[in-house]
Formats: sequence, C-alpha cells, structure tokens
Amino acid sequence: MNTYTDLTFEGRKHFGEDLPTFNFEGPRASDILGTAKGGRSVKAKFVVILVLIPLVVVYIMTGVYQVDPSQVALVKTFGKYSYTTGPGIHLHAPYPFQSHVIVDVQTIRKQEIGFRTIRPGQYASKKEEALILTGDGNIVSVEAVVQFRVSDPVKFVFNVEKPEELVKFTTESALRERIAKRTVDEILTAERDKVAYEVQEVTQRLLNDYDVGITVLNVLLQEVVPPDPVIAAFDDVNNAKQDKERYINEALRYANNLIPVVEGEARKIVLEAEAYAQQKILQATGETQRFLSILKEYKSSPKITETRLRIETLEQVLPKAKTVILLDRSQRILLMNLENLLGGGSK
Amino acid sequence: MMKLTIIVTVAIVSILAIVFLVLSLFIVDQTQYAIVLRFGQIRKVISEPGLYTRTPFVDNVVRLSKRYYIYDIPVEKIITLDKKTLLVDSYAIWRIYDPKKFLESVRTVSLALSRIDDVVYSGLRNTLAKLEFDDIVTGERQYLLDITEFARKNLVEFGIEIRDVRIKHTDLPKENQQAVFERMKSERQSIAALIRAEGQKEAQKIRSEADKQATIIRAQAMSEAERIKGSGEASATRIYAEAFSKDYEFYKLLRTLESYKNIIPNSVVIVGEDLSILEQMK
Repeated sequence: MNTYTDLTFEGRKHFGEDLPTFNFEGPRASDILGTAKGGRSVKAKFVVILVLIPLVVVYIMTGVYQVDPSQVALVKTFGKYSYTTGPGIHLHAPYPFQSHVIVDVQTIRKQEIGFRTIRPGQYASKKEEALILTGDGNIVSVEAVVQFRVSDPVKFVFNVEKPEELVKFTTESALRERIAKRTVDEILTAERDKVAYEVQEVTQRLLNDYDVGITVLNVLLQEVVPPDPVIAAFDDVNNAKQDKERYINEALRYANNLIPVVEGEARKIVLEAEAYAQQKILQATGETQRFLSILKEYKSSPKITETRLRIETLEQVLPKAKTVILLDRSQRILLMNLENLLGGGSK
Repeated sequence: MMKLTIIVTVAIVSILAIVFLVLSLFIVDQTQYAIVLRFGQIRKVISEPGLYTRTPFVDNVVRLSKRYYIYDIPVEKIITLDKKTLLVDSYAIWRIYDPKKFLESVRTVSLALSRIDDVVYSGLRNTLAKLEFDDIVTGERQYLLDITEFARKNLVEFGIEIRDVRIKHTDLPKENQQAVFERMKSERQSIAALIRAEGQKEAQKIRSEADKQATIIRAQAMSEAERIKGSGEASATRIYAEAFSKDYEFYKLLRTLESYKNIIPNSVVIVGEDLSILEQMK
C-alpha cells in the first residue's frame, strides 16, 4: 500500500494525465453513497466490484516504477536478475513475480579520507585517518577525496555488500602504500600529483580485481601537510628560505649602493687632484710672472731696488716680531723693544 | 442459506489453498543463498536465484548473503623483527562461498567475523614479526599475499572465502609518534639553520666583493690623483726653475725677504753686527 501511494503521488506530480484511473476513485466513492438507498443484492455486487477494482489497480501498481535520468533499474524475476531499464516510467509484473533495484549510474560519488564534510564548506579533519608514515620514517597528514561512478550496475548491486566502504578502504590502503614509497619532502612537493595518479591506478586495479563495477574517476589529494606538531618547524624552513633571499637581497642592495658612491668618491679625488695640479701650475705661472716683472725693474737699478726691498720688508715685518735684539761690535745689546723684553710678553 | 454456506466454504478452502501455496513457495534473491532446514537439519542448499518450493510448517529457510563483505579488522599492535611497535589497521574482503559449511561451523556473520579476526590477526602477527619495521611500512605487496593465503587456507573449512587482506594504515603508538615528531622538528630546524647560514654566507660574500671593489676603485683614484698632482707639481717646478734661473742672486734676495714675512712675526730676533743685510737698521 505504501509503495502504491508513493507512486501515485510521484505519478501525479510528473504524469498527472497519464494515470486517469485515479480520477475515477473519487467520483465512484460518492456514487456508492448515492446509490446506497437502492436494491440490496445489486448494491452488494456493485460494492464488491467497486472494492475489487481499486485493489487490482493497487496490486498492478506494485509493478510500476519510475527511473530518474541519472539512474537505471535492474529488474529481477523471482529474485533473479533479468533485464535493465533506463530512465522513464516503467511497468513490470507485480509483486511477487518481479521486483526492481534502482541504481544511480551517472552521479559522481565520493568518499573522503582524512576528513569529513559536515556541511558544504565546513570540514572536520580525522587525524587518525590522515596521518601516514612515509618511507623515510616521517609522518605526513594527507587528506584525499576519491571520486567514482558505477560503471556496471549489475555487479555494483549484486557483488558487494557496501561498495562505498570498499572504495574508501581500497583507496586508503593504496594511498598508504604509495606514500610509504616516498620521503616526506617528495610528498610535500614534486611527487604530490604522481602519488594521486598512482593511487587512482592502484585503486582501480584492485576494484577491477574484485569485479564490483566501479570506475574510479579521480583521486584528489586535498591538504597534504606535515602533522600539526611539526608544522611550525616546516614553516620555519620556508621562512629560512625567505630569510636567505632577504640576506642576499640586502647584500646586493648594499653592493649596488656602495659601488656608485665609491665611484663618485673616486671621481672627486681625481678632480681634486686635477684642481691641485692646475692650482700649482697657475700659482707657479703667477709667481714667476711677478718675479720676472720685478727682475726687469731690478736689472735697471739693482743697488737701489735691493735696498728698497730690504727696508720695505723689514719695515713691514719687524714690528710684528716679539723682540728684536741687536748686537753691535762690542756685543752690547741694543734694545729695540725694552718694554716687551722686561714684561716677558706679559702685557 | 445453502448457497451462502457453499460460497463461504469455497472461499475458506480457496483462502487456505492460497496460504498453503504461499507458504510452500519462496524466492531466492540474486544476492542470496538459501538453505532449507527441516527441524534444524540441512535439506537443500540453493545458490541460484529463482522460485523454489518447500514443505510448509516443516521446512525453515535460512538466507545468507552471496556478496562480498568488507570487514574492518580492529587495529592490532605488532612487534617487528627490529623490536619496534607498530599499529596495523587492516581489513578483509570476504564472502560465504560454501553456505553449508558456513552454517554448520559458524552459523552467523558476527561469529564469522570473530573467526576472521582471529585468523587474520595471527597471520599478520606471524608474518610481520619476521619483518623489519621499514619493510613492513614500505614493501607490503609480498607479505600481504602471504597473509591472504594464510587466512584463505585457515578459513576454507568455515565455508569462508578470503578475497583479499589489505592494510589500511600502519601507525606508530602515541609515544613513538611523539618521538618521530620531535625528530622531524629537529631535522627541519637544522635544515632551516643551514639555509639561513647559506644565505648569510652568500650575503657576506656579496658584501665583501663589493667592499673589495670599493677599495680598488678608491685606490685607483688615489693613484690617479697622485699622478695628476705629481705632474702638476712637476710643471710648476719647471716653470719656477725656468723663470728663477734668469737671475739667481735676485731670486735668493727676494725669496729671503719673503721668508722673513713668515718667520719674524711673534719671534725673538737677534741681529748681529756682521749681518750686513740689516745694516740699514743701525
């Protein structure tokens, strides 16, 4: 009865006009009440027929089944598989002669390893599932998803009790095996994709062996990371790489900065030297010109000029002297600046 | 009244007939074995799906699954050849292949599981105890075949077929795990230190190279400067020499007077009688 009502509901929703039988139910029921005051025997026959027809219809309806676009139905005759039907609404012989099993063969199914989706966008990690020993005795945390599809619904339904679990376990075991063949560094870096590919291959091979009609579409490694307690140390290695770059860049900056500065300095030193050389030459030229001019005058009257130059110079210079002591032939001292001598320059 | 009695009798008889028919027929599903028991004794074993008959009220039908089961065997602690402890999480794929034997020996699936548990565990322990830790973790293909074979042989008598035994997980006990984490940490720390040291080394190299370049550039400039200064001084000297050589005596006079300007201020000057240059002073 349940199946029947479910199906009518489904049927009405999708195929309202295709099931006219049900529309008669209502009106006939009211007919029964309407004719209840008529002849007794005729009425009884009528009631029996009216009860029987819906019962027969309900019974036949146990053979009606609907297959969605992504599904197929496997029809069994007395429990033995006989044929497969595709999407649409179908009829098979009613219970107990035939029965059916519906299998979704299009939808991509998935199993999660190392984590669970609680609801879309929210995940919980399962550490005991995610932690795997690597070939070099380390431990990595691997989260993976295996995507698969039913390729042979007959085998899928009839050969194994819990096909989903089989896929999950097989993938887990393949993942463990492939990870154990590598070092932690390989898994965390270059070999990641290769691991995923190999796991898919191994899983598919095993499932083919078990003959359960499953095609593995993909094994996707999600988060492949060092375990929580060591993640900081692993991050620090990355930081160290950054630091190394930084040290080198800083040094390069220093070098790139230093060389132009020093080149400028060098240029300055050279220019200063050039200036000095020029200055020396110009000074020499000037001085010699002065000398030559005076020499010309001197040549004309040497004695006079010499005396004049001497006196002029002494005039100019001696006042600036602290003390001038003149000694005559008798070694007497002629004091020129007595005050300064006595005062000892204390003034 | 007679008519009604007949109708009722017919109805009762036909209902009884239908009930009898229903009770004497049974369907065996594609996924099932059926065993017909009469008073607990096995009368018939059916392994093909279809419609079958039995004697109502006397025969009892027991159904067993034909499909493969996956049994997640509880985690087992194993001591390896090199005395390390390993937690092995395995599973077995099995099915009932001889329902008669199965029913005679273990009867139910849960009992079968404990039997499988025992056998696989002893298989795992025996095989893995002869192997070193690393071989268990990295090379499983061979020993798993051995274990599967062992389990298969030992479970045949229960009507159980072991399809495969595989290892889902090999884990370390908590305390060993902690040790591995510590080791991984220290490994990473030394790698990080090495990388940093390399960086510093390279940076130092770049700096020193730059310093060296700077020193060379400065020295070159100095040397160039000295050369330039020298040539300037040489030119100056030549100019002086050329001019002053025209009259040496006069140059000497002029230069001496010039030097007084620098020497005399602020000093004590003692002038002797014989210093003829000062005769004008007397």
